[in-house]
Amino acid sequence: MKRRKTGPSGVVEAPLDTRAQARAKEEGLPSVKDGRLKTYEPGDNVAKFLDLLDRRVSRSLAVSLTACVHCGLCAESCHYFLARPDDPTMTPVWKADQIRQIFKRHVDWTGRLAPWWVKARTLRDDEDLNRLKNIVFGSCSACRRCTYNCPMGVDTGLLVRFTRGLLTELGIVPEGVFNVSRDQWETGNQMAVTETDYLETLEWMRDDVRTELGDDTVDIPVDKPGCDILYTINPREIKFDPRSIAHAAKIFHLARESWTMPKWGWDQTNFGLFSGDDKLGAFVARNVYEAAERLGVKRIVISECGHGYRSTRWEGYTWAGHEQKLPTESVVVTLKRYLEAGRIAVDPARNAEPVTFHDSCNIARSGDLVEEPREVLRRVCADFREMFPNRRENFCCTGGGGLLSMAEYRPLRLEVAKIKADQLRATGAKLVCTMCHNCVDGLADVIKHYKLPLRVVQVLELVSNALVIPGRSGS
Amino acid sequence: MSDFLKILENEIQIAALSFMAVVYAIRLVWLFRFRNRKEMTFTAGSARAGAGYSLMNIAMPRAMESTRKRPSFYAQFVVFHLGVAAAIAGTLIIPYAPGVFEIRPVMRLFQAVIAAAFGVGLLRLFRRLTNPVLRTVSSPDDYFSLILLILWFAAGVLAVPNRPEAGEWPLILYFGLTAFFLVYVPFSKICHYLYYPFTRLYLGRSLGHRGALPPRGGKRAAAPSAKVRA
Repeated sequence: MKRRKTGPSGVVEAPLDTRAQARAKEEGLPSVKDGRLKTYEPGDNVAKFLDLLDRRVSRSLAVSLTACVHCGLCAESCHYFLARPDDPTMTPVWKADQIRQIFKRHVDWTGRLAPWWVKARTLRDDEDLNRLKNIVFGSCSACRRCTYNCPMGVDTGLLVRFTRGLLTELGIVPEGVFNVSRDQWETGNQMAVTETDYLETLEWMRDDVRTELGDDTVDIPVDKPGCDILYTINPREIKFDPRSIAHAAKIFHLARESWTMPKWGWDQTNFGLFSGDDKLGAFVARNVYEAAERLGVKRIVISECGHGYRSTRWEGYTWAGHEQKLPTESVVVTLKRYLEAGRIAVDPARNAEPVTFHDSCNIARSGDLVEEPREVLRRVCADFREMFPNRRENFCCTGGGGLLSMAEYRPLRLEVAKIKADQLRATGAKLVCTMCHNCVDGLADVIKHYKLPLRVVQVLELVSNALVIPGRSGS
Repeated sequence: MSDFLKILENEIQIAALSFMAVVYAIRLVWLFRFRNRKEMTFTAGSARAGAGYSLMNIAMPRAMESTRKRPSFYAQFVVFHLGVAAAIAGTLIIPYAPGVFEIRPVMRLFQAVIAAAFGVGLLRLFRRLTNPVLRTVSSPDDYFSLILLILWFAAGVLAVPNRPEAGEWPLILYFGLTAFFLVYVPFSKICHYLYYPFTRLYLGRSLGHRGALPPRGGKRAAAPSAKVRA
């Protein structure tokens, strides 16, 4: 299918691509057969959408849908609009209005009484739904920067996720979203890593750390019951960046941590957050919680991942209807504790290059960690410098909201990444550190596209570099 | 004072106010029919503190980048809403405590505040008509509500001296518009003040529970001035 770049409104016009869905149906995938993974079926999708809209709106969403006064203050908080200041369709208010207008027409009485007066509208056909798909998936990373800048407290990020969820239920999603959801439903992890690949990579990393430390007692335990912590990771670490597992293993070993990784339920990422599919979110999160309970650990530790942290620490318990029983924390919090307790020794001179820190949206704005990574970085880096704005005002890496998996929106994503590129360039740093694997790829794209003299690193890598290993000459 | 003006200042206002209260009550019942999600996680902060911070956001222009970078916008917001408060107060003072406006400085203060709000209203209308973003998202209700408020402020400035003997038309206009407002407001964007506490409460409670609000520790997130940075 031919893809047009952008329409006159500025929104990307990508047709609905259902080839992967057709293949999944042909193959008779269990998740498709039993209806967990929805596929597109031509028919009365508008009626289904409206029915879902009415049934799924929560109170906090309802107030966000009714309270906007169209003041426009959110516009300049959005990197899409800042990069395209002449395009009103890039503003959070316009994007949120696309679902708000439908809500007004069908659920809220003002729009039912006099639709034209409050600009309420209905959907005509699947083309309208596809257009809505392109808006909520293609022109917003659901970073919630606008949420923090709305005087009324309208949560546009949440509205975008909600709308994505309705469309996902109808199979009206970008192909990449379907593919990743399929993999997570089918294999329990979003990159379809097999158990063999998983276990072999862990063994490989264990051997690497043994060689590096010259210590055969180093281990990466799997399914070891009764440990203090259960370490969960991002499948990207198995597929593309296994060194991050080695860094964690090395640090855990030196800190004499009692830890294990689960054989099943190790993926802390959760595409349900991006697709808006709470059922997928519940399935993936429950895998982790049940693994922790099965192994009788005392704490769940989440490797460096923004949306994984938000999903596993915060949203997952609600999606799964699972009352939290165990402390659940980011590995960065674990590292901070080791440093404070003197369980590991570090020498910041080993990270001599200037380092700046990029706050992940899902951790800083939808979570609780802004100072913790900074406290760790100040201990392990010789030259730490802030980028501006930072913390909860930081700009998205531009790859958030699952956008890295949606190729059709890449040109727009990289165009609006100019804001992030300018922000990075102004730091003068050589390394940009982030505690999110998604941001690693998002930032790497920005750096490559805008030819910035920077490299992306993560907190574990910098801590690992700075480790003073007992008995090692030069330590 | 004519009988018509007396009825307009009293019975009609009370009837319109009662109508508004009934519609608001229905509106709240409608809102509460939507389910609320139960929080199932350990807290990292305080939902109550977050909610309090979020609700007080209205008085903290430094808290948000959007108002911090536009102090004039925030000032306009303050003036505009003080004008609304003064104009509402005027509708109660004139019929029930007319002595207040016999104190000349008080009356002049009310006039000044409402007049300033009138000016801000005109600025807001100009902005809504000329800013492409606002023009794109604005509905007829957005324009109508604003124009109505501007007219109401103008009527308020003229009516506050409360001198029916010098001509009743400013008072008739003021109270007529007020009655219309009371009936129209629940159906318009002006009822945002009914939702404001809820949006702020839910957002603040959720982010407060997570420890994201109120912001803790840390130095300024925004860029320091060039001088400081150097």
